[in-house]
Amino acid sequence: MEKRIANNIAVGVLWVAAGITVAVLGAIILYVLVNGVRVLSPEFIVTRPHGVNAEGGIGPTIVSTMYVTGLAMLICAPVAVLAAVYLAEYAHQGRVVNVIRFAADSLASVPSIVMGLFGFALFVEAMGIGLSMLSAALALALLMLPIVMRATEEAIRAVPRYIRWGSYGMGATKWQTVSRVVLPAAAPRIITGIVLATGRAVGETAVVFYTMGQAINIPITPLDSGRPMTVHLYLLAVDGINLPAAYGTALLLMIMILGFNLSARWILKRYRKV
Amino acid sequence: MTGSTTLLPIAEQAAEGFQRANPGTHVLVSGLGSSAGIEAVITGTSDIGTSSRDLKPGEADHGLVDIPVAYDGIAVIVNPANPVDGLSLEQLRAIYAGEITNWREVGGEDRAINLVNRDEASGTREAFKKIVMGEDAHFDRSAVVLPGTGQVRDVVARSRGAIGYISVGFVGPRFTSTRVKALKIDGVVPSEDTVASREYPIARTLHFFTRGHVGALAGRYVAYVLSDEVQDGVVVDAGFVPVSARGRP
Amino acid sequence: MSTTDTSSSVARGTLRLVSRETQVKEWLLASVFFACAFVAVLAVALIFAFVGWKAWPIFSEVGISEFLFGRVWASSEELYGILPLIQGSFVVTLGALVIGTPLAVGTAVFLSEIASPGVRAVVRPAVELLAGIPSVVYGFFGVVVVRPIVGDLTGGIGFGPLTAWVILAIMIVPTIAALSEDALRSIPMGIREASYAMGATTWQTIRKVVVPAAKIGIIDAIILGMGRAIGETMAVLMLVGNAPQFFAGIGQPISTLTSQIVMDMGYSTGTHRTALFGMAAILFLISMGLVLTVRLVSRLRD
Repeated sequence: MEKRIANNIAVGVLWVAAGITVAVLGAIILYVLVNGVRVLSPEFIVTRPHGVNAEGGIGPTIVSTMYVTGLAMLICAPVAVLAAVYLAEYAHQGRVVNVIRFAADSLASVPSIVMGLFGFALFVEAMGIGLSMLSAALALALLMLPIVMRATEEAIRAVPRYIRWGSYGMGATKWQTVSRVVLPAAAPRIITGIVLATGRAVGETAVVFYTMGQAINIPITPLDSGRPMTVHLYLLAVDGINLPAAYGTALLLMIMILGFNLSARWILKRYRKV
Repeated sequence: MTGSTTLLPIAEQAAEGFQRANPGTHVLVSGLGSSAGIEAVITGTSDIGTSSRDLKPGEADHGLVDIPVAYDGIAVIVNPANPVDGLSLEQLRAIYAGEITNWREVGGEDRAINLVNRDEASGTREAFKKIVMGEDAHFDRSAVVLPGTGQVRDVVARSRGAIGYISVGFVGPRFTSTRVKALKIDGVVPSEDTVASREYPIARTLHFFTRGHVGALAGRYVAYVLSDEVQDGVVVDAGFVPVSARGRP
Repeated sequence: MSTTDTSSSVARGTLRLVSRETQVKEWLLASVFFACAFVAVLAVALIFAFVGWKAWPIFSEVGISEFLFGRVWASSEELYGILPLIQGSFVVTLGALVIGTPLAVGTAVFLSEIASPGVRAVVRPAVELLAGIPSVVYGFFGVVVVRPIVGDLTGGIGFGPLTAWVILAIMIVPTIAALSEDALRSIPMGIREASYAMGATTWQTIRKVVVPAAKIGIIDAIILGMGRAIGETMAVLMLVGNAPQFFAGIGQPISTLTSQIVMDMGYSTGTHRTALFGMAAILFLISMGLVLTVRLVSRLRD
């Protein structure tokens, strides 16, 4: 019976651990929701911040965030997907592939502020792109690269062998097989990976802090600077004067990221049903 | 334009008014700290650099034009529950240098002093250091360093042992319900009058810096900031003292 | 890892039958793919080169030992010793691991061994969402909610290691939990069934059979969680108080490598700026070192 008691206690503790994890998530979401929902309004989303303490809305920061993450996605996705095609379909295992994998793992673990400083040194200063959407997007793209690469590679490997054999059997070349058979079959999972990586980029702060400037501005060209929502939230939070706007910004950020997560799930689910 | 976070309210609100008055113009304002502002105008990244401190020797070589736009007093704030009402400049220096660590030593209750400092990019810190600390004294490195005025105010309003410093304009409960108490320094209460008259010891001039030849648009903007509309409107609203106040009776 | 062999040999066999033009086209495409894959290598090399290049003066002019082991960080006095910051980074990271690891591994074990599919369908997405919350939101939450509580507990202001530990522990839970769960799920069911068949309880099976079998995967997860914690920037910046002093108590402010870089980057010039790049280089080396450690640990398993 003693072991039964020990078992019940241990299982109880594990329930508590999982419970804490869920409760913490609930607490953060609830806190931001309760405090943020009061300021959330169409005006808050559309209008510019103005006045001594950024009263008014956060429109330009939403535009900047979407601009920079969209641009980063466009830069990252083709490279990452083709890189994964190479690793999954073309590469022969050996030293080169090992080096590429190690590099991808390292890239995934680079602290975001290090990526930010690198982006500042290379894109902003050395290449002369300046504090801009493009500089920030390039740095963000590097951050997203290993995430999309991994997701794509897993997606490609999950495509059953026999589908390929069918294609080769009909005399298709390798590229025909990859582009017409393998990639379409893997597409939902690849898109899911891209959506999740983009969601991650939306919430990124340290990378864009010193690569896209902090001026409140609606970016038009990729060379324009601007202030993303995360940096706006940081500045509001440390200024500590206009906290309602900070809660509103935090809530909108969470909603956007939740949106990315849910749409990723939805894509996967839909694909499974078919 | 780039520069002092202290000047950000003036620069931003004036930019808004300026753009309304001159449709089609565009003034980009960012607050990164006075040093960044001066750096930006020297390198040409910005047309106007805003600063809440004077030029350092190295920066003065670049032929920048100095345009004073307002006065600002730095209030030393404590929790309202703190019985201490005033300090001498000397005591303040010793507190921030870490030599006085308990409120008892300056006539208060027996409680550790929690130092709150600003970040080094802050012009407020730079001015405080120059006026209060002088050449020889260094800030105690155990002080909490916060990058924003509101946060300093909030922390002091909530912590009984805390001491911090912010612009006079932010002492009153204009933005939040929390309260802080501004200390008399050398017996002088920080107020608009004592700051403009420079009776209050911890006061400073806020500057715009431009390169010698400034573009027409930037020139018009500077003139707008110095107009009565901005001086008696935005500048006063933001808690600063207009440049014209000095000559007034 | 040997998945491509059959398909590529099929492909090569096909290639011999097709026209020279197609062969060249296929070869060109393969080269493009390789170039894309090589971007990752190039990026790492560039980061290393550029950060190192920008940091070089601090090593050559101030000196590696002055920089790494200098006890005072005071840029206004031109003292660039980062020992207090290194200590700060490790204090913050280790504390977060001590709090976060049991929570994360517990959650992972719960998910793979105990939870019913229904419960799992709630907990698993929660863990994933926790990973999605931006660090600046965590930092904000820490400042407005956790900081005042810690301030009351320690009698200080509330900025310091304890506040950072609590928030950072939450932040590393998703990393460690997700990877640990993968490791636990890769253990074959048969092992568990054998244990249960011998009359072992759930807990005995977990403790004596499943967790030991997944040990290396869990260690990997913890190392990667450590990497996440040591590189975390915004939340730490908002919570530690940014006083570049040695650890003076759980309620006293400290500073870390990452937070000091963000604090100073905006206005730094000259040697000061090279020092910040030096700190970034050290962070980069630490994170590479952790990835390398994971690879070595994983090799032990094989």
